[in-house]
Amino acid sequence: MDAVQDKTTKAPRRNGQEDGPGPGQRLLSPVARLGAGILTLADHLGGIVVLLGATLWRLVPPRLDGDQLRRSLFKMGNQSVPIVALTAFFTGGIMVVQAGVFVKRFGATSLVGWGAGYAVFREIGPILIGLMFSGRVGSNNTAELGTMTVTEQIDGLRALAIDPISYLLVPRVLAMVFMLFALTIVGDVVAIGGAALFGKLLLNVEFGVFFQSFGWLGTADLFQGLIKASVFGVVIALTSCHFGITVKGGAVGVGRAVNAAVVAAAMGIVVSDYFLTYLLG
Amino acid sequence: MIRLEDVTKWYDGRAVLDHVSLHLEPGMLWGLIGPAASGKSVLLKVVCGLIRPDEGRVIVDQRDITKDKESDIMETRRKFGMLFQNNALFDFMTVGENVAFPIYWGSDIEPDRLRSLSVKRLQDVGLSGSEDKVPSELSGGMKKRVGIARATIADPKIVIYDEPTAGLDPVTTSKIYDLLRNLQQRNESTVLAVSSDVQAIRGFVEHIAVIHQGRILYNGPERELDSCADPVVHQFIRGDADGPL
Amino acid sequence: MVQQNTQNGWKPIEDEGFWRRIPRRIGVSTLDAGKAAATLLWVLYRTVIGTVRGKRPKGEVLRQMEQVGNKSLLFVTVTIGFLGMVLVFQVCLQIEKITGDMSQVGPEFIKGMVHAFVPSLTAMMLATRVGAGIAAEIGSMMVTEQIDALRMCGVDPIDYLVVPRFIASLVMTLVLSVYATAISILAGALMAYTSYHVNPVMFFVFDKVTPGDAVIGVTKCLAFGAAIPVVSGYCGLTTRGGSEGVGSATTRAVINSSLAVIILDFIISAAGYYLLQSRGL
Repeated sequence: MDAVQDKTTKAPRRNGQEDGPGPGQRLLSPVARLGAGILTLADHLGGIVVLLGATLWRLVPPRLDGDQLRRSLFKMGNQSVPIVALTAFFTGGIMVVQAGVFVKRFGATSLVGWGAGYAVFREIGPILIGLMFSGRVGSNNTAELGTMTVTEQIDGLRALAIDPISYLLVPRVLAMVFMLFALTIVGDVVAIGGAALFGKLLLNVEFGVFFQSFGWLGTADLFQGLIKASVFGVVIALTSCHFGITVKGGAVGVGRAVNAAVVAAAMGIVVSDYFLTYLLG
Repeated sequence: MIRLEDVTKWYDGRAVLDHVSLHLEPGMLWGLIGPAASGKSVLLKVVCGLIRPDEGRVIVDQRDITKDKESDIMETRRKFGMLFQNNALFDFMTVGENVAFPIYWGSDIEPDRLRSLSVKRLQDVGLSGSEDKVPSELSGGMKKRVGIARATIADPKIVIYDEPTAGLDPVTTSKIYDLLRNLQQRNESTVLAVSSDVQAIRGFVEHIAVIHQGRILYNGPERELDSCADPVVHQFIRGDADGPL
Repeated sequence: MVQQNTQNGWKPIEDEGFWRRIPRRIGVSTLDAGKAAATLLWVLYRTVIGTVRGKRPKGEVLRQMEQVGNKSLLFVTVTIGFLGMVLVFQVCLQIEKITGDMSQVGPEFIKGMVHAFVPSLTAMMLATRVGAGIAAEIGSMMVTEQIDALRMCGVDPIDYLVVPRFIASLVMTLVLSVYATAISILAGALMAYTSYHVNPVMFFVFDKVTPGDAVIGVTKCLAFGAAIPVVSGYCGLTTRGGSEGVGSATTRAVINSSLAVIILDFIISAAGYYLLQSRGL
């Protein structure tokens, strides 16, 4: 604890000002700052790719702690099921209201189920559930690993000749990828339920009509979302682990790392979503 | 000046303060010692209204602050200056701004005058010329001095020191206590100090109290502490490994 | 909580089966949620009062505007830009299968962006970046006793820390949303042109946007801009413990402000639909 506090007090100025130009940097030209930004980006991207390689390397043949995997799965599921269900429920409602705007103008009530389902399965479901999962599980993971790093617990594992990557990271990465996939299925179901319910309550669309047009959706729509969810799971897991194990500077550093991790994960989700849509479309 | 009557504070089903009653006269040099997690810091924060007790009364200058609204407690707090355990220097301000902050907020003193007052106070604590540094550039002892300067700049009637010498070497420790003594004599303020360094604080205070598991075991003149019969107090002040603790 | 229950003479929780535990868990979490909601409302009340007549540090609002606005510019550009392209792509994909008439893509897309997608998605991104930042900053001041030090100097931490962020976020969410709308429309037009050869002249048609859409969009921006700093400030001010506490405060801030955005989005969308859009406004 003393070590942490010591680092805290020695840490540079508070979080918000951290990414601004420091006293010495203020004179740097915009070009130099752009260069510095690109170097930082390359640094993090490189770290994440190395982490991906290290994780895959330990998966053939699987070398990981089964107990840790079970614990991670249980904890992450426990943490995120309520929040994902709540998010999905209201997302379904939002989608149906947006669809209502069109329905009203074109008189196409029969399309509400299809429209809400299409949006939820392909885009909004995976993205919003991914963002919530990143906020809940990803940032918690960063905070946990970050705390272990600043309190020298990771070094403690190394001192016991335990490989921190196969003991701590691989189970978490696997658990997060699997969990996000499973949660997206749960979320899709809840969102469609919410959409049907609010469709009846707000737009007076009967359940029969809603699910009739809903039936036009193909497995391709569902699978596109699930493939996206799996990739988002990898993105969230790797960014949150990377920022967690590279924390510097005590309690302040942990907060900053969590912040950086969720921002990076959100960017990663959106950018990979673009390429996935293009490839799968 | 300060009176605590049967103050009790619960955290997670555990009494951190258990019916604590105290009375402090103006100008008193009062010390509080006790093992880790015995309720020392909570007691200090209850005295200055940072923590509201669950039961009992806290009376500062004839005013019961346990019933007061936060805005009224703010007024009462102007009578206090406080040095926190880890100094709690504002890391987004310079050292000079830190020291001047208690007199800056809510007053219309000119910036130049604020600066000269804080420079003056930094000289008093032996830190001339560091007003433009940021707290992270200072050593542990220097941070303590900045914290002391900030706690005393408004010349408060009551000064609270939470662990004024924690983590400092013996030489720095005695220098800090000399500084506290000088400041107290100049302002004739009431001083409450908490420390786990029993010997050092005994050389500083006139009255002392021992707290353990939220209860006050001894409260009286410092020189009579050795004759206290309580086994916990006895073990604690002598630092024995064997005993009830 | 467990300890208190045992003290009151209740059976320890561990003795119960999984299913019998659920009613108690719901009861306890309802009580906790009630307390949390009361504190949150109190923070909101104090913030509004402080905004109207409180004293705030000089220049702080501008500094926070830079934090919330300028520092989020790149993040918002990347995320909203890619999302705009993805949404247009998905819509065109379906239209190509059904009618192949791309003339309405642009106007309908622009309408949807103004009243629905841009405010919500921008706010989700800000909840991640700004919410985490506020909680990390206030949380680390909390664990290093700087908040107590502020109070000892006669300063209300809500006036000093939350109010400037509140004002900054209120203004900058609106500004960023306007900017993000422009980015998303440009990105969408680019996508429609490159992949589906939709003439930009046909895409940039703004006459589907009604005054009602604009009112809904602005209302959403203001509501989200107010909710994010209040929720995150509340999370920061209730931080306990060391670096773990800061980490969990940051996590809670991200998740709770995202959830606040989604729920407010649903309420305002539904209200806007009934009050404005369904009447043709």
